[in-house]
Amino acid sequence: MAGLLKRPEALAGGAVLLALALIALAAPLLSPGDPLAIAGKPLILPLTDAAHPLGTDRLGRDLLAGLIHGARTSMTVGLLVAVVALSAGMIVGTVAGLAGGWTEAVLMRLVEAFQIVPGFLLALALVSVAGPSLAGVVLAIALGAWTGPARLARSRVLALRESEFVAAARVLGLHPAEIAFRQIMPLALPPVLSLTAIIVAGAILTEAALSFLGLGNPNVVTWGGMIAEGRNQLRSAAWLSIIPGLALVITVVSTYLVGEALTDSLTERRPR
Amino acid sequence: MTLVLSRRGLFLSTAALAALQFLPRSASAQSGGRITVAADSEPAQLNPAIAASNGVFYISSKVIEPLAEASYDEAGLRPLLATGWEGAEDGLSITFKLREGVTWHDGTPFTSADVAFSALQVWKPLQNIGRTLFANLTAVETPDAHTAVFRFSAPTPLQLIAKALPVVSSVLPKHIYDGSEIAENPANRALIGTGPFVWGDYKPGEYYLLKRNPAYWQPDLPLAEELVFRVLPDRAAAAGSLEAGEVQLAAFSSVPLVELDRIGKVPGLTVITKGYEALTYQLVVEINHRNAHLANLKVRQAIAHAIDRQFVLDTIFLGYAAKATGPVPANDPTFYTPDVTTYAFDPEKAKALLDEAGFPADASGKRFALRLLPAPYFNETRQFGDYLRQALAAVGIDATIVANDSAAHQKAVYTDHDFDLAVAPPVFRADPAISTTNLVRSGIPAGVNFSNQGGYVNPELDSLIDTALTTLDPAARVALYHRFQQLVTADLPLINVVDWSFTSVASDKLGNIANNPRWAVSNWADLTLGT
Amino acid sequence: MTPALRRILGRLIGSIPVLLIVVIGVFLLLNSAGGDAVDAYLASIGGGDAGLAAKLRAEHGLDQSIWRRLIFTLGRLAQGDLGWSVALNRPIAAVIAERLPNTLWLMGSATALSFLAGSALGILAGRRPGSAVDRLLSGGSLLLYSIPGFWLGLVLSVIFAVQLRWLPVSGIETIASGKTGMDRALDIAWHLVLPVSTLGMIYLALFLRVMRSGMAEAWSQDYILAARARGLSESRIVLNHAARNALLPLITLLGLQAASMLGGSVVVESVFGVPGFGRLAQEAVAGRDTPLLLGVILVSAVLVILTNLLVDLAYGVIDPRVGRGGT
Repeated sequence: MAGLLKRPEALAGGAVLLALALIALAAPLLSPGDPLAIAGKPLILPLTDAAHPLGTDRLGRDLLAGLIHGARTSMTVGLLVAVVALSAGMIVGTVAGLAGGWTEAVLMRLVEAFQIVPGFLLALALVSVAGPSLAGVVLAIALGAWTGPARLARSRVLALRESEFVAAARVLGLHPAEIAFRQIMPLALPPVLSLTAIIVAGAILTEAALSFLGLGNPNVVTWGGMIAEGRNQLRSAAWLSIIPGLALVITVVSTYLVGEALTDSLTERRPR
Repeated sequence: MTLVLSRRGLFLSTAALAALQFLPRSASAQSGGRITVAADSEPAQLNPAIAASNGVFYISSKVIEPLAEASYDEAGLRPLLATGWEGAEDGLSITFKLREGVTWHDGTPFTSADVAFSALQVWKPLQNIGRTLFANLTAVETPDAHTAVFRFSAPTPLQLIAKALPVVSSVLPKHIYDGSEIAENPANRALIGTGPFVWGDYKPGEYYLLKRNPAYWQPDLPLAEELVFRVLPDRAAAAGSLEAGEVQLAAFSSVPLVELDRIGKVPGLTVITKGYEALTYQLVVEINHRNAHLANLKVRQAIAHAIDRQFVLDTIFLGYAAKATGPVPANDPTFYTPDVTTYAFDPEKAKALLDEAGFPADASGKRFALRLLPAPYFNETRQFGDYLRQALAAVGIDATIVANDSAAHQKAVYTDHDFDLAVAPPVFRADPAISTTNLVRSGIPAGVNFSNQGGYVNPELDSLIDTALTTLDPAARVALYHRFQQLVTADLPLINVVDWSFTSVASDKLGNIANNPRWAVSNWADLTLGT
Repeated sequence: MTPALRRILGRLIGSIPVLLIVVIGVFLLLNSAGGDAVDAYLASIGGGDAGLAAKLRAEHGLDQSIWRRLIFTLGRLAQGDLGWSVALNRPIAAVIAERLPNTLWLMGSATALSFLAGSALGILAGRRPGSAVDRLLSGGSLLLYSIPGFWLGLVLSVIFAVQLRWLPVSGIETIASGKTGMDRALDIAWHLVLPVSTLGMIYLALFLRVMRSGMAEAWSQDYILAARARGLSESRIVLNHAARNALLPLITLLGLQAASMLGGSVVVESVFGVPGFGRLAQEAVAGRDTPLLLGVILVSAVLVILTNLLVDLAYGVIDPRVGRGGT
């Protein structure tokens, strides 16, 4: 955490994320009622109507309400995907890297099988088949995102396994599990954790792309869905896609900055 | 493959000869050059005699012609391959006089044998609409090369068959298809017809290329040298390509409605709403009558009162539609009647009806929950689904949208009946008997889309539909269909919301566009490109 | 046979179980979907009666049980026959032969652009972490990476194709232009500028970030300190030591990215009307065309396997610590 405080941009990113998290949690209080409700005239320009400060979309749905509730769904999707993908990837990668032999062969075959199927296609097929529920979308996106962490974790573990200090630890007679979790994991972790930002960002963006192809969940607001809906009016009512787009970009940027600062602070703390 | 190539080679040489023959005339005629138009989908197979659908017709109608085409004049029909048709007194036969001097693109003469073959071997057994429409067709006699007599086992109104001709009567060359597996014939992918354009090339995902038929039966036509259908699946790409001058026409609303206002102001481009009058799509709320709530007429009436048609018209369709009063659109010149039960937008009345029906609102204002399945085929059907969910919420009905892609929607609604409400875009095809009565007729097996799969049964309506099907007198048929509209609007087996037609965006350089009520799917023989 | 060649062959044979998992998984996934190929077809033509549906199902063998169809499919694939596409009504091998070059051009160019420019800029940024150059590049790439690909594509298309008319709006080449040889290659390149830029820029940002972060990490490593102690020049330390080590995760990423880019290209191909693999797969899913989707995925799987083989070989060359045991 010390690393966070040393970097102003990470601090800013953290502040934005915190604010977003609060907004997401307090969405029902900040903007009561259904954000998809038709609240006013269609296509009110932003900053022209006090009742709809960010304007309305082509059906008359309030953009600010959509933005607030969208924060909830978009962040939930991003975080859940990251949690699922990182834990699955870390476990499989580390186990494969350390165990070697048959276990490694079988696990890496599984990773490869998922890896050679383009993740987005898998998500597309899965969402087409299972329908765009939250769990379905999270699972679909995570299925394409866990192989990266798995391979990276394994390659780090492999590289570290051969390193001098691990050899030294072996010579000292440390227990393999101790070597794994006290010597190797802390070193293997940072680059894998540095993928968090990529995965969260990727998940939010993938959700947007699925919405773009008409595979979004029409019962909830997501920023991706808002951008996808607004893109038909990119030329005539650009704010419809620019406003949620900005929200998305700011969130992703903040996630990234915080993720990076965390990575650095983890890197600094590691043993020599 | 080699067969196709050699056939094309053969054709090219005859075409070259024909071109020489016509040289003086075609040189004097105004040449249209190459016209590029946007296409938003690639049909799985292009044979219009098998798949009577607008996506197929859009491309194939330029190559393969029907017996007659729709027209704006009094008769409503313009003869193409048939020059005249006449029904027998007893309604058991219809005699078609066929055009002479027409040749297929490979040079073989077009005769009554082709029509007989198409009717009996293709339209009746294979075509999605013909299988029902020609169910009673027993034989086609060919007393001479240019006469075809259709024999029916039950009285069949000439009015019905005539109105259906543009859709169901695409004629295939017998000598190409006879004796082969029709659905697998290579000519389904490299079409051979009698139309103004001959098949050129198809690059999947890229384009279809059609070329001028120099031996077309109508002198001096076609005017364009080449037609290119550019495959542009993304709707934003169609607008961009028009503005960049890469395409000259985007039909079937491939430019989103919200862009029309802006693009109409781009110099050199015009928004056109004409040319789709016979291709009216109906925005319909399909109802599953197996649901205990929806089986109650008061609930259906409440839903009808909960829908603000003016809002749908203004906001979703941006004015490019008309409010529907019933199952026949108001722009139909023959069958429409305004004398039906109407449902004004009145949420309070809707709530009262729901109370009366015995479904009071609970503490949170909700009465009961429903699953709503909007058809994914159009932006507008999806948006109406979003709107309907809100409109229902306003009267206490908690609808959850179930989003499916085309295949899953087809299965869920029309095969598994796994829905409560659905939003559908059926097409009104000039006569209610072609594809409209199916929406409410009982006894239709599962798996048929745009048909009554909601389990609705109304013996009075069924018998009226059956009577109209064999009533020969046009005036009597019209009266029956007026009654049909009244019954449907009174009992609400489904709810008609608006009727809409498509828009085209065209370059000002194009001439002779939108000049018939099925223009986008007609043969475009007179289409020109000026400078 | 050289050891490298033997290893490649071994890996290809070893990947057969992986391909089997993929085929069975994809087959079951698509066949558990609501609606089959006939439903998709009937929806596309606006309907037909029940008899027509049954007739079509029988024609396509869809009336058979799912397990019989799976066994039939596996048997067919084992003989090297990709089968017949229901959605496109053509042999799948022909469809793939037509689309593969487009995809290879698009992905190859985008990969080259993003890898070369991304790693170069990443080295520049990672040379002095925290410097103004680093902040500019990191910030810029961050922004780029955060923009949805389809949105970037639409905006680029509006600016460069619609407004300025410098580049074509869509397509892979000029329609029926009759161009051949060099002219045609240039025409294709011309059409690929926007899609490649869109796809490439997203991955450029990714490569830049990973390279930079690897470099930043490398600076605190012992071997850098050792190199410094030996008095090596700064540029030599940057290129030979820091960058070389930072390249490892980047190369890992290159292997991963082959598949992910193919997925990403679905959206880009859709925006720019490029008839490639991504769109073909999308059409296959929409049309419930199991054989076509299997064909697309098998061919892309082989591509990805080959890419990963190269990556593994490169890995061994660059990082001497990973020996044979790496596979």
